[in-house]
Amino acid sequence: MTESGETKVIRTACGIVDGVRCGILAHVKNGVLVKVEPAEFPDPRFRHICARALCSTQFVYHPDRLKYPLKRAGKRGEGKWQRISWDEALDTIAKRLTVIRKKNGPESLAWAIEVMAYIRLASALEATMINPIGFGDAAGPCADEVTFGTQYGHLYTMDIKSPGMCVLWGANQAETRPYYWRRIRDARERGAKLVAIDPRFTSSASKADLYISIRPGTDAALALGMMNVIFEKGLQDKDFIIKHTVGPFLVRGDNGMFLRERDISSLDSDNYVIWDTRTKKPAAHVEEGTLPALDGAYKAGDIKCRPAFQLLVDLAKQYPLETASEITEIPARTIEGFALDYINRKPVASYRSMGLQRTFHGDLSWRAVATLAAVTGNINLDGYNEGYRRFLFDANTMLYGDKFPRPMPLLKAYEAITTGQPYPIKALWLAGHNFINQDPDNNKVLKELVPNLEFIVVADMFMTDSARYADIVLPTCSFFEYLDMLPPLDILSPYVQLQPKIIEPLYESRPDRDIVNEIGLRMGLGDDFPVSAEQYVERLLSSGHPSMEGITLEKLKEGPVEAAPYNFTGFGTASGRLEFYSEHMKEHGQELPLYIEPIESARQPQAKKYPLSYLSTHTKYGNHSLLANIAWLRELNAEPLLEMNPLDAAKRGIADGNIVVAFNDRGSVKLRVKVHQGIRPGVVNINEGWWRHHFTEGSYQELTHATINPAQLAVFDPNSAMYDNLVEVRKID
Amino acid sequence: MAKRYGLVIDLERCIGCNTCIMACKLENSLEKGSWIRVDTIGGPHRDSPEGQHPQLSMHFLPVLCMHCEKPPCLDACPLEAIFKRSDGIVMVNEKKCDGCQACLQACPYGALVYDMTSNIVQKCTLCAHRIEKGLEPFCKICCETEAIYFGDLDDPDSSISKLIAARRAATLKPQSGTRPAVHYCATRQGRIE
Repeated sequence: MTESGETKVIRTACGIVDGVRCGILAHVKNGVLVKVEPAEFPDPRFRHICARALCSTQFVYHPDRLKYPLKRAGKRGEGKWQRISWDEALDTIAKRLTVIRKKNGPESLAWAIEVMAYIRLASALEATMINPIGFGDAAGPCADEVTFGTQYGHLYTMDIKSPGMCVLWGANQAETRPYYWRRIRDARERGAKLVAIDPRFTSSASKADLYISIRPGTDAALALGMMNVIFEKGLQDKDFIIKHTVGPFLVRGDNGMFLRERDISSLDSDNYVIWDTRTKKPAAHVEEGTLPALDGAYKAGDIKCRPAFQLLVDLAKQYPLETASEITEIPARTIEGFALDYINRKPVASYRSMGLQRTFHGDLSWRAVATLAAVTGNINLDGYNEGYRRFLFDANTMLYGDKFPRPMPLLKAYEAITTGQPYPIKALWLAGHNFINQDPDNNKVLKELVPNLEFIVVADMFMTDSARYADIVLPTCSFFEYLDMLPPLDILSPYVQLQPKIIEPLYESRPDRDIVNEIGLRMGLGDDFPVSAEQYVERLLSSGHPSMEGITLEKLKEGPVEAAPYNFTGFGTASGRLEFYSEHMKEHGQELPLYIEPIESARQPQAKKYPLSYLSTHTKYGNHSLLANIAWLRELNAEPLLEMNPLDAAKRGIADGNIVVAFNDRGSVKLRVKVHQGIRPGVVNINEGWWRHHFTEGSYQELTHATINPAQLAVFDPNSAMYDNLVEVRKID
Repeated sequence: MAKRYGLVIDLERCIGCNTCIMACKLENSLEKGSWIRVDTIGGPHRDSPEGQHPQLSMHFLPVLCMHCEKPPCLDACPLEAIFKRSDGIVMVNEKKCDGCQACLQACPYGALVYDMTSNIVQKCTLCAHRIEKGLEPFCKICCETEAIYFGDLDDPDSSISKLIAARRAATLKPQSGTRPAVHYCATRQGRIE
């Protein structure tokens, strides 16, 4: 055998797994991608690759890749298609969007995307941008907006130097974020204790020194129970609380707002007020030489007040060990031992992951865990400064004109499409967001949302469940086929990377940016509307954002470039402090991170009919629905499985390997059961990401609901409570 | 100096992410299967623990050709298609192999793979083609938790020799007398198999 052509090795960044862009070396021979391997970084800790990225050649050269534009030739979802030219596809889309826009207003056009190129088009058309984060990832950012004043509070709680203990709160880093695991590994090898709190015994839990099996959605009660143990023994970090949190701020008894200097003096000052135990008088929080009270009740002028920390102590008192144990179903001595360990092993790194925030009140779980870390002084004050924060380049560079598209939370879009409130959405364009497979209440999506949409466009590499319901399907490129510069979403990595074009687009596929340019021109936007990929990168680099300073395209072509850090220490909240007490949340009764029973738990009335808590967790075998069609991964993970504890199986006459149906009032799904001890009694799980046709019948998202949490809506975006759903399971004969 | 190449796999580090499997498939162009597998030591399923919830334990055990000092597969092959190189790597001569699979029966580790399409037996080569270029085995390069170490077992100063001594790394099924070149550091609970 002779080898024709030589292999070129080109550095790029992986685009398979969301949330991280590992550096990879792509081997190209005769224009064909033949191999990938991990690329080095100046800091060797960031050299990573995972099983998913190693499937790149399978992904790029998948036989099912969409090869040319398609027009629907039957009913929606029927699977009948007609091949059309790009010109016909683009002309049709431009025409339909123009007509719908004229008839229903510009906001009736909506995009739900993970591909940033469309922001330019949506902004130019003054259209709606649906924020897909509400598919299950919104409650954590919402919580951290309250507590830290940034959506990325991980860095405050997780990025702790030399921890004596790492706590995985509903986090399964070993499977879903393996690139974080090395930090946990290093900490453990230096003697840190690992605690995993999860209703499932995951790969991460298998490494833990202490595994705590918790009733789903009750983490806030655990954190409050631990705080109560800590407060009773006076083990809180008073210094940290006084200096960095709202703990000493006096809260008005009459309205729950922080007392301000103007409330008790003639000064028109927004200063917060503390009780100075030296002078036994109220004082502005900025005043030096005071010794602020953290406990007690005071009168400032005529206003009865208490320090915010006292209110937290009072809340924690409602969770003595026996109560916390009764709620969480964790033995009281385990909670007590964990709480004392938490103090003795300081500093503690808290890994709060998305599993923790996928119950209806998951934002409160996140807040409670952050509060536990705060009152024990386990907060990295430079958190705001690290990693992801370095990449917040000026988003205006993505726009055409100066207006952002109208933002709409995902779950509000359900209402807009079905009821026309606050305004109707009539055309939906999906790219990188598999709405019809991955979003909650799939029967509602199919039966109420899809028929109410006049026009659906899907741009994708594959005929996904969403694409199946489109009117026009456009074939797009893999990340090896076009140039881009990406915010490298690994929030711990300081590097900006380039994604060069490595191979030519396959078949007739086109990069999303080219599609955007073409549609813009066809819809009569200016000649200055189209931007090439190079122009786009130049714009980001020259945005004037401090993090982009000194970074050029030429430098990026040579390798990853470290972005400049923000020079910011502290918190982005209104008070500039860590707000475990939030006056903004008072109107929702959630000024403190209290525990509220999940809306669909085994203790709710509907559990009589549907007694099992249903989760749809993430796995090491894919990334959402993206890799469910990759043969190499399917060899290890052949079919969807419903995980069930042997106790629950025995009650229902179910044996391992049986075909079962999981159902509730919203829908059902048929699949094989995996009966094992790795899941808590009373809880069942189906790993998310499977496509409808992978199930014997139905879909795993038929079981979930799209109920809006109003408190989350007020702060940020309401989250889909994917892990707060009740089902029953029955054997199929 | 003669060499004897081997691996040390730290089971405390292994998280069962299967990256080594995909690395093996990619490096060796294996459309089906792989020359390394990751067993779950626990319950009856992949990714399932033993014990009773919540008192559970589970760990992962990557298994590949052990490149034994005394390979039973070599003795079992009637066609002398299996041979041992001077650097300790055990190889299958695919030209001599007729797919009789006697070696599969003889291997105590289930590390050989029969490929139906080509009617030959294949197995891990320790990435001999990479080693010859001064590179390390691809599974070692890709391992997400850096649980795989590669080196020369005959060199007492090599990193793996030192690691074996420090962690008292052991081999699988020592009673079989095969003297594997693949060693394992036990989990914190002291478990390997």
